[in-house]
Amino acid sequence: MARVLITVPPLTGHLNPALALARQLAAEGHELAWAVHAQRIGDKLPAGARVYALDDEIQSEDLGSASPKVRGIESVRVFFEDYTMPMARQVLAPLEAAARDFAPDVMLVDHQMPAGALVARKLDLPWATQVTTSASILKMSPVLDAWVAEQYRSLQQDYLPAEKRVERPDFSPQCVIVWSIEALLGNAHARVPAPYLFVGPPQTQNRRGIEFPWSWLDASRRCLLVSLGTVSRDRDTRFFEVMLQALAQLPQLQAVMVAPASLAAQAPDNVLVRDYVPQVELLSRVSGVICHAGHNTVCEALSQNLPLIVAPIRDDQPVIARQVIDAGAALFMRHGKVTPETALKTIQTLLDSPQLAERAGALGAQLRQAPGEAGAAAALLALACAETEQLPC
Amino acid sequence: MNAQHEVLNTVIATIRSTINEDWIQHFDIDADTRFNDDLELESIEFVKIAEALQRHYGEIDIIGWLSGKDIHELIGLSVGQLAEHIITAGR
Repeated sequence: MARVLITVPPLTGHLNPALALARQLAAEGHELAWAVHAQRIGDKLPAGARVYALDDEIQSEDLGSASPKVRGIESVRVFFEDYTMPMARQVLAPLEAAARDFAPDVMLVDHQMPAGALVARKLDLPWATQVTTSASILKMSPVLDAWVAEQYRSLQQDYLPAEKRVERPDFSPQCVIVWSIEALLGNAHARVPAPYLFVGPPQTQNRRGIEFPWSWLDASRRCLLVSLGTVSRDRDTRFFEVMLQALAQLPQLQAVMVAPASLAAQAPDNVLVRDYVPQVELLSRVSGVICHAGHNTVCEALSQNLPLIVAPIRDDQPVIARQVIDAGAALFMRHGKVTPETALKTIQTLLDSPQLAERAGALGAQLRQAPGEAGAAAALLALACAETEQLPC
Repeated sequence: MNAQHEVLNTVIATIRSTINEDWIQHFDIDADTRFNDDLELESIEFVKIAEALQRHYGEIDIIGWLSGKDIHELIGLSVGQLAEHIITAGR
């Protein structure tokens, strides 16, 4: 049996794939520990989990909160400079103590948890990086690459001996597990050189039951799902209002819109506004998706062969949007600018273009074939075995 | 109209024709308009605008000028700064 130490930032999109991997490892009988911000996400860990809290002495407000209003490349800068890097500096010491105490055979380190990467490098522990989307392994531009390298240079300087410092310490030289498929990446950008393993999205997720009025759906009409994800849902209502105006002109369609309930009053008869929806189940009943190009929603839609309209806002969404457009499975809408006229035309194009659904289906087939957490677990255990030469891992 | 205004107007017209969406044809663009925040342009679109301007102005190196900027400068980049570079470099 292997001892595995997992470290991820307190963000749902990073915790969820790690939880899927942890369930797989636990089912195989391996021993797990978590080095995480327990005050924030402790309640989401499996019952009885062994936890090393990284936030015992840290006030929550010390961590820069994700600014909801910034968009585009500025949101990437804010996330990295004001969130990821200060957090890395805060948790280096407790994380190193956790690794020394637990003495893992292998570490799983989220890509946005660079302190874990530095600890693994300092202690010469076998480790794998987990990357949660198809965007962050790409070299986007020399300006961005130089900025990222500078951030990591300064982080490593006070912690790692000179001979252990590298340009991109965040990527494990042993294995980088990517929770996506290679077909989404395209060829527009080079990758940071690393030993990648594309496992596709997690195949099992803990979902809470969400009620939905299934009888509202009319089997004789096609239906769209409109969602900007949980982070941007409450950002502003303009985008939703524009979609409502466009959809009002398409009575032959239905749409379910995940949006603040206050919008229900303006919704035409063919649009149902809901605060939350059982997304995966709902996707099996719709013909297309309008979304923010969050990696989860994109993969869930493609897995059900659904073409998309993507209106990216922040973080890695513009990159993922470009990837799924370039793959031929999506159309673009400019989130804060799209007019009802353009929205109407784009929706009509989405529904009148069988080739979009065909390309979505091709990507969907690859997503469904990907090994998911079973593949990720096997790769992680191979690293642990290589180190200890124990059998069976 | 002086030369500065002429360059600014050319930059604005190039932005409108390159993006070529309905909203941008009547969107109020001036020297203070920022590419990321106000126009929601992604870098790939920004590069297309720069390439179109470089074709128009010939000798002036816009792509090279951009790659000398750091990320903070790129985030805040305004239409006026781009016009200013074209004017300065063209002298």
